[in-house]
Amino acid sequence: MRLNKQIRLIFFLLFPFTLLTIFVVYPIVATVYYSLYDKNTGSLNLNNYIDVISSINPIYMLVSRSFTPTPPWGALIHNLAWVLIHVPLTILLGLILAFILKYYVKGSALIRTIIFLGMVVPPVVGGLIIRFMFDGVVGIIPAIFSFMGIEALSKTWTNYPSTALYALILGSLWIWLGFSITVFSAALENIPRSHIDAARVFGASMRHIFLKVIVPQLRPAIVIVTVMTALWDMKIFDVVYASTGGGPGGSTSVLALVMYSYFARALDYYKSAAVAVILALIVAPFIVIVMRWLKD
Amino acid sequence: MEKRLLLIIIAVIIIIAITATLLLLYIPGPGVPTPTPTVKLRVIGPWAGKEAEYFMKVLNAYKEVNPSVEFEYIIMRAEDLASVLPLNFEAKTTPADVIITPWGWFIAEMAKKGHVIELTNYINKDDYVAGILDPVTVDGKIYAGPFTMWLKPGFWYRKSFFKAHGLSEPKTWDEFKALLDNIKAISGVKNPIVVGDSVGWPVDDVVEHFIITFAGPRAYLDLIEGKVRFTDPQIKSVFENYLVPLIKNRYFSEPIEWTTAIELWWKGEYGLYFMGTWIAGMVPDAGDIAFFPLPGCKGVVGGTDYVFVPKYTPNKDVALEFVKWLITEGQVVHASTPAGKIPTWVKAEPGKLWAPMQDVYKKVKDLGLSILPDLDDTVGGDWQRLWWDQMKLLWANPDKLDEILNVLTTQHPRIKGG
Repeated sequence: MRLNKQIRLIFFLLFPFTLLTIFVVYPIVATVYYSLYDKNTGSLNLNNYIDVISSINPIYMLVSRSFTPTPPWGALIHNLAWVLIHVPLTILLGLILAFILKYYVKGSALIRTIIFLGMVVPPVVGGLIIRFMFDGVVGIIPAIFSFMGIEALSKTWTNYPSTALYALILGSLWIWLGFSITVFSAALENIPRSHIDAARVFGASMRHIFLKVIVPQLRPAIVIVTVMTALWDMKIFDVVYASTGGGPGGSTSVLALVMYSYFARALDYYKSAAVAVILALIVAPFIVIVMRWLKD
Repeated sequence: MEKRLLLIIIAVIIIIAITATLLLLYIPGPGVPTPTPTVKLRVIGPWAGKEAEYFMKVLNAYKEVNPSVEFEYIIMRAEDLASVLPLNFEAKTTPADVIITPWGWFIAEMAKKGHVIELTNYINKDDYVAGILDPVTVDGKIYAGPFTMWLKPGFWYRKSFFKAHGLSEPKTWDEFKALLDNIKAISGVKNPIVVGDSVGWPVDDVVEHFIITFAGPRAYLDLIEGKVRFTDPQIKSVFENYLVPLIKNRYFSEPIEWTTAIELWWKGEYGLYFMGTWIAGMVPDAGDIAFFPLPGCKGVVGGTDYVFVPKYTPNKDVALEFVKWLITEGQVVHASTPAGKIPTWVKAEPGKLWAPMQDVYKKVKDLGLSILPDLDDTVGGDWQRLWWDQMKLLWANPDKLDEILNVLTTQHPRIKGG
């Protein structure tokens, strides 16, 4: 009987394990192997890692040797800039908008749907839309600044190293905000109305209700939005590829784009694998946080 | 017994009659052509929109001479091909039977890895523009055939615009600067010269033209070879004395998406547009445009799209037969359309060129401009992307000139490799 159960278990696990081995385990092992493979000597060493980390070519540079007030700072630093700017803005705007839409706007479902459209748009198309949004000739953002008389920002943002990175990050806010609002809206549904009414009875202002009643109860949702947004920012590719291609002067380059450039332009699969491993190692802590959170 | 024998004879006759009838039905008699099975060739090319329409005319012309071949045309840019093909080839498959790309260096890379069919026996080198086969020749073997050629001859302008504002083609650098000032003074003009934007090539075309003009064709070729550096005084001075002042004084627009730039230039928001000859097929009236190179220019950049056959095509013979036609007679058909191209096949009759291109060709010849290879297409690899990127940076931040020239020098593959 016990043997039968074990055979059945093996039978059911065999198929998924085979697929996992072929499509997940093997590619991971192969990528790590290639990242260590030295094509010049045929031996395994860290030369690919040393080369990609020490590259001073603006297209491949991971960390700039000199710090300047404006990009390029290197792909890795750009990814961190994405996380530092994009994550707080996504959380803050998502929270505020979800709160306002739930408690102050009638027919908010329609507005939520419109905001969610950004999530439905393929990232490559999103990248092109961002490019046009910030275009000096047809873009809405430079047009607004032109109307306000701010000439320095009424130009094509993606053409200049000082503005290109910010254009992509701010543009992506539109793409990703739908996710954050949807998660926060769902979490808001779980907060009993009586908590807010009780706070009102005790004379709490709307600001206090938001900060002292709503936000603490949304903490699990905030964690998940933070981690998912940070993950998205660390592996961002399509938006950058379609809008600026990493330029000008490497000022919008990101890790995934560097990996792609080694792969598709330099045809150097070993260095590409090294960047992939570096990217995976950086992303791993975020995944651990999510796994722990899901477990709890 | 006799009756039985008679039955056997009748049976044999009937069998012979049936067999003969069947044979007559299935074996065609003399004079009846054998129906050839149709072969469908998948062709990948870089052209979309109107440019694709002009190429379809070439495919249709081939179908007329060879009805047994059908085509499926797939649009794929060179940069997309570079990311897709290596994987396909490593897996010993191909997405198309015939592939066309302007990146000769990429074909050479694939040929070195054994993925491309050699075409040496199909191509007579002397029948083509000198040097055009060099990028696709590896160890003396030719791996791709050249298709039609584009030229990047200079600054295009609308004849009607020049006439309306009393402008004329400049003969000296001072006249060129005066022309820019005159255009700048025209009401409604945003900048005298519009600069196209794409992955970066429209900007770099302008730079190549300035280098050829002020450093000379020899220095330009040496720059490609890595014998001259971007930081050398003769090259640096081209940027410092000519390009950077024009950029800083806003004689150039900021890079605008290159097809949008055509529309804006046509509307009169800009006076001049540096672009390849294909622009002639993209404007409403090709008769209203003309070009001039920078005064004193002795060379013109010309490039072609290369046609190659991957080793893994299941239709090798048909594909090779088609390529043989495409790089000879096919060029004549293509050059007769408004694609804005000229044949690289020297046996093509100039009289069959599309009329506006005949004027361009004549002017290039009259000015004595030698045809030079495209700088970034020839160097190729990831340096090409770096070059495009750095040129866009130059337009955004001309003060970074020293840094840009330094990066271009240190990363140049032929300098890097010693």
